[in-house]
Amino acid sequence: MKIVVLVKQVPDSGAERNLRSDDNTVDRGSANNVINEMDEYAIEEALSIQEKHGGEVVVLTMGPSGATESIRKALSMGPDSAVHVADDALHGSCAVATSKVLAAAIGQLDADLIICGAESTDGRVQVMPHMIAERLGIAALTGARKLTVDGSTLTIERQTEEGYEVVTASTPAVVSVWDTINEPRYPSFKGIMAAKKKPLETKSLADLGVDASEVGFDGATSTVVEHSKRPPRQAGNKVADSGDGGVQLVQYLSSEKFV
Amino acid sequence: MDFDLTPEQQLLRDSVAALGRRFGHSYYVDKAKAGEHTDELWAEAAKLGYLGVGVPTEYGGGGGGITELAIVSEELAAAGCPLLLIVVSPAIAATVIARHGTPEQRTAYLPGFADGTLKCCFAITEPDAGSNFHRLATVARRDGDDYVLSGRKVFISGVDESAYVLVVARMADERSGRLQPALFVVPTDAPGLSTTKIDMEIVSPENQYMLFLDDVRVPADALVGGSVDAGLPALFSGLNPERITVAAMGIGTARYALERASSYVAGRSVWGRPVGSHQGVAHPLAHAAVQVELARLMIAKAAHLYDAGRDVEAGVAANMAKYASSEAAVLAVDTAIQVHGGNGMTTEYGVATLMGGVRAGRIAPVSREMILNFVAQHVLGQEKSY
Repeated sequence: MKIVVLVKQVPDSGAERNLRSDDNTVDRGSANNVINEMDEYAIEEALSIQEKHGGEVVVLTMGPSGATESIRKALSMGPDSAVHVADDALHGSCAVATSKVLAAAIGQLDADLIICGAESTDGRVQVMPHMIAERLGIAALTGARKLTVDGSTLTIERQTEEGYEVVTASTPAVVSVWDTINEPRYPSFKGIMAAKKKPLETKSLADLGVDASEVGFDGATSTVVEHSKRPPRQAGNKVADSGDGGVQLVQYLSSEKFV
Repeated sequence: MDFDLTPEQQLLRDSVAALGRRFGHSYYVDKAKAGEHTDELWAEAAKLGYLGVGVPTEYGGGGGGITELAIVSEELAAAGCPLLLIVVSPAIAATVIARHGTPEQRTAYLPGFADGTLKCCFAITEPDAGSNFHRLATVARRDGDDYVLSGRKVFISGVDESAYVLVVARMADERSGRLQPALFVVPTDAPGLSTTKIDMEIVSPENQYMLFLDDVRVPADALVGGSVDAGLPALFSGLNPERITVAAMGIGTARYALERASSYVAGRSVWGRPVGSHQGVAHPLAHAAVQVELARLMIAKAAHLYDAGRDVEAGVAANMAKYASSEAAVLAVDTAIQVHGGNGMTTEYGVATLMGGVRAGRIAPVSREMILNFVAQHVLGQEKSY
């Protein structure tokens, strides 16, 4: 089984993140860029399937040249090789255009299974698995908290608010996973040392047969018109307890309709 | 000159830090107070190859150096889990065997050091000799095909969790008859070897022991390097890695203390402002941070020199790094406690628990006074004082 894992480099969600003032895109220059957290669960799932069923795991990333650092980290966890789609014309691409590029790259890889995180911590739109599946004409099993592979049959437990749904499809298919699905491994030292020798192929839009006009700002189906910083947090109410602290707390909770 | 880690070293640092954070200081303290060992953390770090980073690849190790092992030691400590046995087993014992063991000894022991399944502690210190190997009273004598060891050792870390102990004894040179240091790999369950636990005022899951060797008989192949000539160079080869990794462990602990303190003083507001905005609180922390960073630079330099095979220069740097680290660690932990106010001495805030460990670092494995002696003699050219 050939598994392609989609890995996105994003600004660390634990630190301050910004949009650029010049073109309203994510400011990668000032950020600490890391692997999208949910993608580590996708990598782990791919590796554990490979351990059980054999085959090959390929990391696929679309992003600027600096994304190589995250690709090497992904490879240090154990995948066999990586494809990095990098092209200056991609800057400013919307989700629809991104799915076109990723689908073209997956098409060249002849994958049986595509695994990705259910969302990225920067965009958070959760549409990529559906869009890619649609473009490739294959099934999308999304929001998995469990994935079982039995020959060419894939079964997931789709996490919902109330519980889970069991969804089945045949390969090839796209599976997106939540962080409830497994516990990602840490890169071993041997994995770290091996990662720098693993094949990492860089592909341009021309290599994928995608026209530059279909991506980037020119091809974007949506535009960020403006953005502003989140307003600073308002100071909270402090309840000084002079005997009636409990009453005041309940009054506050009641006024906010918490109780 | 380049102050950057390689991408691989950086990834190792990040990965070890993430593993350490998953366990954290409360895990470490709970184990210590229950009289248990940090077996789960050791096993996980071992499985990931973090403990065997410095073992040659032909024996299953990572093929890195002391730089990498120091990263592991520092980052686990920076997560609140300073593991003293890293200093003893992979840093001292594995290095001694890798550099001076016979081919048979390398084959026998290095794979276990590589995957972390083998723990070997180190016994040099004696009640009447300290670490001065010219005065060691533990002796080995040849008896047929065997060696027989007698003597006693003190402050031996982790004997209870180690399969072997690397014993530094003295043995008569066959040609001159002079007593020379000789190192033996002795099973900790060897007949005639007994231990007594020393109760320590350090919150640590690793224990200290007196070690008694009463005619402990070991086969000839227990002698490291197979000859008494190997003793002195073997002993020296273990000491720089010991100083560098113990310095890294101390400075990791210091970073942990400063991180806790910084987050505490930034978050605690009194009369409308965080206490960290007051210079009386911020300056001592900033001062400690400067001392910590200076020590980290010296640790990196010492590890770099050692890995480059420049042992003599590495010796000076490793001693200075160990000195700087233990002073900075005491300062950082003491300051962290102080800025916590009363909370600094509680178990909950997790900084007072670091005090015993960093304070011991000014004494062991080599005291600050012995390092100053070394620097006075070898750097400043003064006459030996003892």
